[in-house]
Amino acid sequence: MTDSEKFIKLKELLLNEDRDFAQNILQKLDSLEDTVNTHEKLSEKVNPIIDKKLDTFVEGIPDKLGPVIAEALIKSQDKVVEALFPIMGKMIKKYIQQEMKILSDKINNQLQNTFSLKAIKRKFKSIFSGVSENEIILSELNNIKAEQVFLIEKGSGLIIASVSKEESVDEDMIAGMLTAIKSFVEDAFKKDEQSLELIQYELFDIHIQNFTTYYFAVVISGGLDAAFKNKLEDKLFNIASNIKTDSIDKEQIIIKLKQFIENE
Amino acid sequence: MNSSKKVVLVGHFGVGKSSLMRRFVQNTFSDNYIVTIGVHILKKEIKVEKTNLTLIIWDIEGKDDITTIRSSYLLGTSGFVYVIDPTRPQTYDRFNEGLEFLKTTYPKAQIVAVANKSDLINVDEFKTLLESKNIAIDFFASAKEGIEIENLFQTIGAKMI
Repeated sequence: MTDSEKFIKLKELLLNEDRDFAQNILQKLDSLEDTVNTHEKLSEKVNPIIDKKLDTFVEGIPDKLGPVIAEALIKSQDKVVEALFPIMGKMIKKYIQQEMKILSDKINNQLQNTFSLKAIKRKFKSIFSGVSENEIILSELNNIKAEQVFLIEKGSGLIIASVSKEESVDEDMIAGMLTAIKSFVEDAFKKDEQSLELIQYELFDIHIQNFTTYYFAVVISGGLDAAFKNKLEDKLFNIASNIKTDSIDKEQIIIKLKQFIENE
Repeated sequence: MNSSKKVVLVGHFGVGKSSLMRRFVQNTFSDNYIVTIGVHILKKEIKVEKTNLTLIIWDIEGKDDITTIRSSYLLGTSGFVYVIDPTRPQTYDRFNEGLEFLKTTYPKAQIVAVANKSDLINVDEFKTLLESKNIAIDFFASAKEGIEIENLFQTIGAKMI
């Protein structure tokens, strides 16, 4: 082997590894270039990162932007009111006008039938119940309804029976919580032997009628008035008169409560 | 047969009454201590022999002296779970007085005594300490680790039927 051949051989031995390395880098560069320049390939790599960032951003909106928006709204309260007032005002005005028209039509209708059998009955009802005729007319228009009735054991708060016009949330829990609220109020404001009789929330009233070992809780929609309360109390007294505390017939009570709620 | 019973958790502040109830009903536990104000009610149905028993569990606010609990919260209770915290002696120093109060005021109610947070103590050493103080505890439970929770509620359920 000549010197020059030896030199070539030595060069091959020394530089082969570097050449392979360079070749490898070139291939990676080509692949990267291809990924960057090809839309689909780039999307495949970048989209998950963007999606993750977007998710984090969306999750952070309430914490990061919420206070900023709230502060901005407080600072420019007048501007917000100014911008919303014409729209909201028109909507509210239209709604009230519509409701007033319906109420007016109903009252006119009632008054036109002054000498009808219903009107005469109403007059008698007013005389005997002590509730004014105006109040009776308004209650007839008001469409007051008993939505749910619960019969609950005093003290333990365990439900004895319940009926509802619509499917309600857990009755055991309602009975328990009502009893806890009732117990708390009666304890906190104890004056002789007084009991909690009414809970109001927005458009609903819960009328509570107490007996010795149990109480009724009636959920009423449409605004409880004196005439309806009077009628309700009478009906609950009637149901109670059929309840024997030593041997409570649950099925019989449920039938009575169903009749009660359906007739309301 | 179906039946419902009211069970009330009593004991000092921070003994873990709410945690016991949550572990039993919802199988959850949180290290964050939130004071119960008033009362919190949850329910769970268990099977005791042939009876489907619905436990209406009242978790009431803790009191250093259980004789001062609002009596209206305790009326009609069928079972008490009397909870102590073994890491704080003041929660069981007057245990027997509290137990006697429950027994005499609500003679028809069943009672189980529970030492919660048993994961934080050496149970054998604590049992010896309780013996010296003449305190009888039925269950050494841990709401955090879920130890003995099912068992204690199942026991009170069986006692009440």
